[in-house]
Amino acid sequence: MVSEEREKIVRDLISSGVERAIAKEIARDFRVTELSVGRDALSAAGIADEYAEDILCMLGIEVAGEVKPCDIEIQVNGTPLPEKLKSELKSKLRVVRRMLTRDKLNSILKRVIAEYEDARVDPREAVGVVAAQSIGEPGTQMTLRTFHYAGVGAIYITLGLPRIIEIVDARKKPSTPAMKVRLQPEYASDRHKAEILAMEIEETHIKDIGKVESSADDMCILLSLNNRELEKRRITKEEVEEKIKSLDMPVDIKEDKIKIYTKNNSYHELLRLEERISNMLVKGIEGIKRAIVRKGPEGEYMLYTEGSALKKVAKIEGVDFNRTTTNNIAEIAEVLGIEAARNAIIDEMMSTLEEQGLDVDARHVTLIADAMTVDGEVKQIGRHGLAGEKTSVLSRAAFEVTVDNLLEAAIHGEVDELKGVTENVIVGQPIRLGTGAVELVAKNYGELMR
Amino acid sequence: MPGSERYTKYEKARIIGARALQIAAGAPVLIKTDKIDPIDIAIEEFEKGVIPITVKREK
Repeated sequence: MVSEEREKIVRDLISSGVERAIAKEIARDFRVTELSVGRDALSAAGIADEYAEDILCMLGIEVAGEVKPCDIEIQVNGTPLPEKLKSELKSKLRVVRRMLTRDKLNSILKRVIAEYEDARVDPREAVGVVAAQSIGEPGTQMTLRTFHYAGVGAIYITLGLPRIIEIVDARKKPSTPAMKVRLQPEYASDRHKAEILAMEIEETHIKDIGKVESSADDMCILLSLNNRELEKRRITKEEVEEKIKSLDMPVDIKEDKIKIYTKNNSYHELLRLEERISNMLVKGIEGIKRAIVRKGPEGEYMLYTEGSALKKVAKIEGVDFNRTTTNNIAEIAEVLGIEAARNAIIDEMMSTLEEQGLDVDARHVTLIADAMTVDGEVKQIGRHGLAGEKTSVLSRAAFEVTVDNLLEAAIHGEVDELKGVTENVIVGQPIRLGTGAVELVAKNYGELMR
Repeated sequence: MPGSERYTKYEKARIIGARALQIAAGAPVLIKTDKIDPIDIAIEEFEKGVIPITVKREK
């Protein structure tokens, strides 16, 4: 391909608003390598400075001594740092790019790598114990009271120590299930639309939209609907009538009242029917007791709900399911999978700790979440989970219900491999952690005399 | 330690400890020093990389 043509391709790509990264990719495909353009030529062609630099860099044209954005990109990507550190480093380096030289860049990277290596824990470190202590101590400072305002209207959410216990115990259902439902842009920017959506998911029973009375005179239930409530909740009379008819009872629909007759003319049945009609679901998702519209942290309208039903909410139009969460970890594990559950455990624990003003490093919490989810299901920490499923008999016996464990193990002829910490402490051996795990050997004599 | 990765703090402790025990028991010291405490001597030997002990690492 002629170099003019290549030049045109690159310029066209950029000027037609193609993303830098994509433009690079395409250009690479064309193997543009010996294009004879300089920064001046590019700017003369009306290409913005930031793009010009990319193009020059892409074409391998050096501007002496200068550190280009792609240099930072390449150099930082070549380091053994974790992704998060890399991106932080890149953005910080970009700011001071103009003051950098190649040498400076290299020495900065060297220092960062050294600091990073130094901050890592050594192999054999007892990280579990450190995690336990690091969460345990701040835990002593947490509120013991069960409930607390979460700052979100009148929705109660369990916080503090009880919430931590709930998470660690991997309860099937939290004592106060709640969701944060984010909405699609058109709903998120319009309070009215968000409110309609809230009504859509909040459960509405017959008793919320009208009065249910039992009349012993003619053995029927009298249902008088409240028109204002109906309008507010956007329910039509027909919808309600439809619901009532689905009961399969003799119904008499009048202008403002609905009469439902019993089949067997018994008082008992009458009372039961009244109860049943009162609690009939006309609209909404079962389990969502309340839904409140609030401005979220990003300044968009979102729904906070009391009660949780992730699967059903996902199907509602206008809900941005990708950004919708619940505090029910078991539900997340079921709907979104174990990795999501792991992240949910971390998020929930960190936010409860933070809410109490406690600063615990996320890595301690991460370790706990990992331990709870390694086996592919959310397991509690305790008798019925982690501690109960240890392979070592002695370790299990040391934890709880000693006699039962020993008896059970004896019956099945279990063998203890003495691989864990507890077992070795019981037996009186050094534990396989820290210095106890290091095995010394004599150095090769030849190597010594070299 | 050319070629090998650096020792962890646990490995360092064990190596120095084991060497100090040898020195305390009368093993010949491998460096010239005026130190008396076997642990101090062992530390110096470790820093110079002359201790004839290393660690066995799992894979």
